[in-house]
Amino acid sequence: MNLSPSQWSALLPLLLPSVGACLIAIMSMDKDQVTEKWIRGVMYATALLAVGASFYYLTVLWNSGGQPSFFQLRMDRLAQFTGIFVLVASALTILQGWDHFHQEGWVKGETLCLLLFAVTGMMLFASTTHFVVLFLGLELFSLPLYALVGTVRLRPESSEGGMKYFLTGAVASSCFLMGGVLIYGLSGTLDLGTAAMLLRAQGLALDPLVLVGAALLLVGFLFKVSAVPFHQWTPDAYEASPHPIAGFMSVATKGVALIALLRIFGNSLTPLAGVGARMQSVVAVLAVATLVLGNLTALVQSNVKRMLAYSSISHAGYLLLGFVAGTPAAYTGVLYYLVIYLAMNMGAFGLLTAFGLVGDQITFDDLRGLGWKRPAMGIAAAIFMLSLAGIPPMGGFYGKYMIFRELVATGHVGMAILGVLASLVSAYYYLRFLVALYLQAPSAEAERLASDRPAVHAPFAGGTVLVCAAIVLAGGFLQTFLADGFARRALVDVAGLIR
Amino acid sequence: MTWLNSHPLSFLVFAPTLLGLVLMALPQTMARLARMLGFMGALAFFVLSLAWLLGHGAGDVIERAPWFTLVGLPVDYALTVDGLNLWLVILTTFLVPLTMLGTWNSLKDRIGTFAALFLLLETGMLGALMAQDLFFFYLFWEAMLIPMYFMIGVWGGDERRYAANKFFLFTLSGSLLWLVALLYLANKAGGFNPLLMGQAASTLPFGVQSWLFIAFAVAFAIKVPLFPLHTWLPDAHVQAPTAGSVILAGVLLKLGGYGFIRFAIPMFPQAAMHYAKPIALLSVIAIIYGALVAMVQRDVKKLVAYSSVSHMGFVMLGLASFTVIGTQGAMLQMLNHGISTGALFLLVGMLYDRAHTRMIADFGGVAVKMPVFTTFFLIVTLSSIGLPLTNGFVGEFWILNGTFLSGFSWGRLYACLATSGVLLGAVYMLWMFKRVFWGPENKDEDSGTHHLHTDLNAREIAVMLPLVVLILWMGVHPRTFVAASETPVTALLKNAQAPAPRTFLLKPAVAAPAPEAHAPEANAGHAAEPAAHEVHR
Repeated sequence: MNLSPSQWSALLPLLLPSVGACLIAIMSMDKDQVTEKWIRGVMYATALLAVGASFYYLTVLWNSGGQPSFFQLRMDRLAQFTGIFVLVASALTILQGWDHFHQEGWVKGETLCLLLFAVTGMMLFASTTHFVVLFLGLELFSLPLYALVGTVRLRPESSEGGMKYFLTGAVASSCFLMGGVLIYGLSGTLDLGTAAMLLRAQGLALDPLVLVGAALLLVGFLFKVSAVPFHQWTPDAYEASPHPIAGFMSVATKGVALIALLRIFGNSLTPLAGVGARMQSVVAVLAVATLVLGNLTALVQSNVKRMLAYSSISHAGYLLLGFVAGTPAAYTGVLYYLVIYLAMNMGAFGLLTAFGLVGDQITFDDLRGLGWKRPAMGIAAAIFMLSLAGIPPMGGFYGKYMIFRELVATGHVGMAILGVLASLVSAYYYLRFLVALYLQAPSAEAERLASDRPAVHAPFAGGTVLVCAAIVLAGGFLQTFLADGFARRALVDVAGLIR
Repeated sequence: MTWLNSHPLSFLVFAPTLLGLVLMALPQTMARLARMLGFMGALAFFVLSLAWLLGHGAGDVIERAPWFTLVGLPVDYALTVDGLNLWLVILTTFLVPLTMLGTWNSLKDRIGTFAALFLLLETGMLGALMAQDLFFFYLFWEAMLIPMYFMIGVWGGDERRYAANKFFLFTLSGSLLWLVALLYLANKAGGFNPLLMGQAASTLPFGVQSWLFIAFAVAFAIKVPLFPLHTWLPDAHVQAPTAGSVILAGVLLKLGGYGFIRFAIPMFPQAAMHYAKPIALLSVIAIIYGALVAMVQRDVKKLVAYSSVSHMGFVMLGLASFTVIGTQGAMLQMLNHGISTGALFLLVGMLYDRAHTRMIADFGGVAVKMPVFTTFFLIVTLSSIGLPLTNGFVGEFWILNGTFLSGFSWGRLYACLATSGVLLGAVYMLWMFKRVFWGPENKDEDSGTHHLHTDLNAREIAVMLPLVVLILWMGVHPRTFVAASETPVTALLKNAQAPAPRTFLLKPAVAAPAPEAHAPEANAGHAAEPAAHEVHR
């Protein structure tokens, strides 16, 4: 089969990480990787190279304005945005992973291989409206993530978390599949955009089966977004998984699922206006439930990672509020929020690695006094937490601002009020993080233990944390560049969203 | 230099942050240098602000440029110094170096970081005072919380974490709801320009206007703090280090009152008038309640904190009177409170540094051990009580005068009730003074008095002297400080003015009895009398 250059260019961003993944899979068969540091180094360098090459390629594509496609894979602006988003997240994950897995003493090549496959799957998932390709992408990123959660097999709770995630995830995937099948069965086409048009032409727009199908599809997305009531896996999975992987899941999975949701429900299914309206009210109810439950549960966590997990649930609520508003500006806000959320959440999880917290030492008590001991990390932590709480002048404020602004403009003032109250509640648990870092002295016991242990050495994780802090701050001061130059442009060319 | 000439306000607002970041980057070993640099910088900003803002002559200093447009709403980079905020800006730049000097040796660890946070806070305060775009204002308003949070939380007393969190969450709760109101109004007005937003607000139904005004008012009232939203204040004040308390009382609380004058009242004149009575009622409650609670305090600092509630109640009462003289009195009272309460907190801090206790019962006979300190404390106490010839008198008199003459049906009653607050103020301050300074020396080994070995040193006297000079200056010639705000206040009250005080014009004999107690000594009050008459005409 001969591929035209345009088809190649659509395929290349996905090919590069997957080729890298295959190479690493071969390298990781080498048993010497346990003892030889350079072998591990080469594997990590390969992974970074694959991610970097794909990233570079996508930025060139972005700047050239080209939007190639390869059959059902459409590498349009939104897909390129997703690609850049996922690749940045994975690069940060790889760098943090190097430090974290060395701290855990469990450096395996397969982790990288799985991660790169997940990256490929995510890019696939967000760049198509064809149901089979969509499902392929979903499974291609879900399966490696199930394995990644349980990757540190030394710890029994790790496999437990992985198993929980796998079982619930499998149910969600099958719901998603069933939904697609129903729509396919009624319309006779696998492309969801065409299916929506056909269904409307046949007068089936409000057929109960179509509604059920759309609802089942929605379940699949909301599970990945970890919206209430499909959120129960989140804290367990995050707690069990290595810090960088938890960060990656919280950012990339959520982001990709939201972007795909935007593409399918915000765009492809628009001909089915009745379905869209019903789904929108469902999303509204779930967004509110997510905000309330996520924030209130996060309040009582003593484990930092579980707190971050519930915080990521509550952020899913804010992002879904953008869907409730449903205007182009609100979608721009969602994408902008995602960019900042990437930086602040990867940064927050990176901090755990940079502070050298492993195993079950991830309670607030383990953070005590670290802000003074590691000033740069401490300031970065303050930036992340204040940004997560939505305090200006951090970037997180502008994400919430854009979404709330659209909510108010579309008449959802009550939801906006609920949203700000939720962020008030969230401020309390983010402050707890800062209280531990700055306002509490470490206990004598912890001081003694810390002096026994070797000094934490995590240069890469520290570097990523600083990069993330810089992005969050940039989001607070260069907001127009990020919002109009990046987030909005990703939406401009997707037909039907912004004209 | 040309940039500086055209952007003096930008420099004043952002230079402290730049300096603060530099100080933060200095290593721990150079903390003493950082403190010195911070002080010198803050002093330079004060001198520059005096030179630029007072030397500028008549007219406003304005900087305005479009900043960014996000989700269809333009945001302006708009800084202005005009009659309404001129003296508050100068008060801020004045208090920052003064406080740094006054608390030079109070803190032992991380003094460099503290100086850096202090400068960041200065940026927040100055920015909020100068910002003329509501979004821009909101940014500073919120950003201000961050340094203050750490100042209370890191260097505070034993309950500092609780106090810092309470302070942060209280203020945030008001401003987040206010943000929704802002967004609602900005959506109608198509931007955050206060003028446009005010126009847009006037076209809305009155019910909506009222809700918007309430959202604005609650955000500002928390900061003031108005009863019953004041509960964060005693905790924050008592737990904060001296420097934090001074700035909290001196400037942060002012921002609440300033927010009313600058934004809430001009933007929603009708709604503001409609709610004048409840606001005045809460103010009167704050005045009396704050005074009564202050009376029973055993901790001097807590006493001063509750006296803040009482004094800021006067500010709100003056604003709610909707008369020129009452509003001018509120403007002056804000400055007064900044000077007097700031000075009180500094003095309490000096006492605490020596005795390591602030309990009234631990003292007694301090006057014998520290005569100079006692003299300063007495002057500041009298100014806080509102003795004629000191600043406190003028402000409170104008406010009570404005309230009494306002023509609101409740004006006289509330003025009379609030006057009892002045009386109670004298009771709690003088009673505290008697127990701490006079009487026989407390001979107990563990008492605070026993630990007082040295009187004020030259540095501390240098801190107190300018404050005392200001106290007297403002008491004798308040016009210096309210002349600038007369025109804007008069203009402001064009749209929102209390009903004409007919009784005053027809039956002046009726008005005479209430200010009876003050009338003979009302020389100072005359300064603004003409203004009041002008408006009434």
